[in-house]
Amino acid sequence: MARKLTAPLILVAAAWLAAAGTGRAQTLQRLTVESFVLSADTLQPQVDVPFHVIVTLHVRESVSEITNLQLPMLAQLDLLGDERQTLSGPRGTQYREVVTVVAHADGRIMIAPATLQAIDARDGKPKQWFTNDLPLSVHSSATRIANGVAVGLLAHIARFFAALLWLALLVGAAVLAIFLLRRRAPVPPPAPVPVSYQQVPLLSEAERRRHQIEDALLVLRAERTRSAAVRVRAAVWRVIGAPEGETLGDVLRRPGCNEGALRDLLVALERSAFTYDEDLPGAIDDACAALERYVGSLT
Amino acid sequence: MIVERQPRDLHDALAKTIVGQENVLEALLLALLCNGHVLLEGPPGLAKTLACRSLAAALEGDFKRIQFTPDLLPSDIVGTRIFDQRESSFATVLGPIFANVVLADEINRAPAKVQSALLEAMQERQVTIGPQSHALPDPFVVMATMNPLDSEGTYALPIAQMDRFLMKINVGYPTREEELQILDRFAVADTQPVRCVATLDDVRSWRAAAHAVHVDEKLKRYIVDLVAITRAAEGVSVKSAGGDTLKAADLIDYGASPRATLALAFLARGRALLDGRDFALPDDVRAVAAPAMRHRIGFNYRLATENVSADRVIDAMIAAIPAP
Repeated sequence: MARKLTAPLILVAAAWLAAAGTGRAQTLQRLTVESFVLSADTLQPQVDVPFHVIVTLHVRESVSEITNLQLPMLAQLDLLGDERQTLSGPRGTQYREVVTVVAHADGRIMIAPATLQAIDARDGKPKQWFTNDLPLSVHSSATRIANGVAVGLLAHIARFFAALLWLALLVGAAVLAIFLLRRRAPVPPPAPVPVSYQQVPLLSEAERRRHQIEDALLVLRAERTRSAAVRVRAAVWRVIGAPEGETLGDVLRRPGCNEGALRDLLVALERSAFTYDEDLPGAIDDACAALERYVGSLT
Repeated sequence: MIVERQPRDLHDALAKTIVGQENVLEALLLALLCNGHVLLEGPPGLAKTLACRSLAAALEGDFKRIQFTPDLLPSDIVGTRIFDQRESSFATVLGPIFANVVLADEINRAPAKVQSALLEAMQERQVTIGPQSHALPDPFVVMATMNPLDSEGTYALPIAQMDRFLMKINVGYPTREEELQILDRFAVADTQPVRCVATLDDVRSWRAAAHAVHVDEKLKRYIVDLVAITRAAEGVSVKSAGGDTLKAADLIDYGASPRATLALAFLARGRALLDGRDFALPDDVRAVAAPAMRHRIGFNYRLATENVSADRVIDAMIAAIPAP
């Protein structure tokens, strides 16, 4: 449990786009991002009770789909479903993705921001937008009861400090009012920044693939389970452009897949997805080593 | 389970004698590992007898070949009791079915009574002659052939009988390169006999190892889905030779039996063991899906009138189920 609580939160792009083919970087959408928010229907979910993580994006343009939006990989949560809705109208487009998840252990979970890569329609530059991150506190029934007692105690202390804070605020406000009256200078309102972004250079296909494989490695190291192995296998298949529903044999017949580090990786991931339980730890070790070697081959 | 001599050694030994026919070799080995029997359909002269004889030799086992003819009697297969005048008693003479590897050539040339005698022996692994039951040797593999070119004077096997075969293999002609290899290999008068690479005890231990091969839950669901779609293939379409799109469901009278489900799981395990793994993969299931199901699906007359091959329909159904 402690390891889970202190483990670095591994959040990577779960929605690695199915079309990871070449030239994707050149097909960024031109968007005016107005809001980009990550939320959940509860910040205190209970163990084994499904809840929803919601990504909401509003852009000024009317588009039929949003591409290059990457959800965080919910490494400590089990994915139960994913529902996307894109509503376009004259006032823009609202994209809403509702991911149904469930936690199987209590503790704190930090969900990293979702990201969106697009050309900013305001200045024509490629940028990456981030949502807020989302701290969750997963409770089992027992911890909720224990927390209830602690919360009651803390509430008294908090009320005392709140009173002190109010007093300090009143004094501060009086001093500020005097200062402003003396200056009489107009203060421009701060420009609203609805979402944060950073300008990013367009990644090459190889760099993008390397980042995604590194993320997959982090996921598998952090969560050494069958379901993580299956998710990482599916993600790696998407990265190399293999559709779901194929077999390993089909994938190995794709150009470049049946050689070197990539072949070893695909075989190792297949083993971790289908081997028997006693062999799973060894299979995941092999898969992690194969992921490392493949990352090395990409650099 | 670790087995010192691997089934792959047996395969490699056979491949040194048999050129090409990889699917026949694999089918023979799978039948051996899964304790089943193989039905082969293909023209004559494609090394079927050689494959069976080589398999028996590689295992130090017995090999018998039975040519099925319209006048064959059940006793010609299972054996009979004859009166010994010196001893004044009946003595049992065991038939050619008492061998480790039996080639039943042109099985559909014999009448139903003879066919059923063979198939019952295959199922029960024992035959009763007079008052006595005799257990067949272990391992016991029957490789039966059917000749598709010559249907005159044949008695078609009912599907209920064919269901007893673990798999059905369509044997094709060798490629040009393989045929050149055949020329080189068999041009010399004395070809090298297959050396013995395993014992019958090895086969029994391989069988135990195959039984222990892990089949994941995802794979089990995949197997069930593959069999289920043969019974309800409404959503599957297939192109006829004339380019028309047909519904697979319109070509099928009845789908594969639950025996096909079991056969798929057995064969996937066997194939995994042949590949040196102790867990099965979706590739194993997909590779054995058509051989395990093609003789268990009842196609109707439209298959012939629409000029669609049964394998094309089966391939379309397999492709319609995404692998896990």
